[in-house]
Amino acid sequence: MDVRETSLTIPAQIDQLNVASGFVRKIAEELGFSASDLHQIELAVYEACANIVQHAYAHQLNGQIHIMVRAEQGRRIVITLIDTGAAFDPRTIPAYDPQRVTEADTQVSGLGLFLIQRMMDDVCFESCMSDNQAGQSGRFNRLTLIKNL
Amino acid sequence: MTSSLSITSQSLADQSVVMLSVAGRLDANTVSQLERALMDAQLSGYRVIVIDLGELTYISSSGLRVLLAGRNNARKRGSTVMLCNLQPAVQEILEMVGFSAIFPIFASREQALAAALTPSDHEH
Repeated sequence: MDVRETSLTIPAQIDQLNVASGFVRKIAEELGFSASDLHQIELAVYEACANIVQHAYAHQLNGQIHIMVRAEQGRRIVITLIDTGAAFDPRTIPAYDPQRVTEADTQVSGLGLFLIQRMMDDVCFESCMSDNQAGQSGRFNRLTLIKNL
Repeated sequence: MTSSLSITSQSLADQSVVMLSVAGRLDANTVSQLERALMDAQLSGYRVIVIDLGELTYISSSGLRVLLAGRNNARKRGSTVMLCNLQPAVQEILEMVGFSAIFPIFASREQALAAALTPSDHEH
């Protein structure tokens, strides 16, 4: 199987979200995803990075998002987003319910997460600990998004 | 890739209907433009606000929130927000999040305008 891995690091800022989603979209295009799938992948990455900016880093200006893309020819795309912001537990966010949207007002919680989960075939959130060579521990969040061809 | 959005406002019929033509990408970087256009339209007292999304290529959750807020604020003022001319990718998103059940959505500008001029046909 032909596998290609590419990565990009962006500042965790709202005006960088299109850079992240455009980067992943280009790789997905080369894999041969349909126009509809490309739109879904682009939107999922955009929403995932927006959540990191808004929630993990709470709009702090010095955060970064590491984006790793594994393109498995003829099979799938695996997108991994890593940040070192606050731990994120999707279970703490009220689930968006499209059947109850008429009751919602201007604040619609969980919409971004709902889109991510609907757009991708597999979504995994992890909050991890790592040890570096100096013996220091660091915590990071890892979000994995998978879309099958 | 950069965000770019343009909105053209056109007053129609007997000045009770306004058409907002939205083109480009509606995301966190551009959403304030639509927010402002919707606010202006509501303050101007239009009975119906028709949003033509024919040239909208992308919508994020920020854009969806502003559409919903615009619809809810309009209802409080007794007016209606309609959508028309959706591209397939945008329509797919609106259906997924349940907006197709709460917004009057029309295939073309002409159909939306015809409904806008018939008040009883577009209550949601």
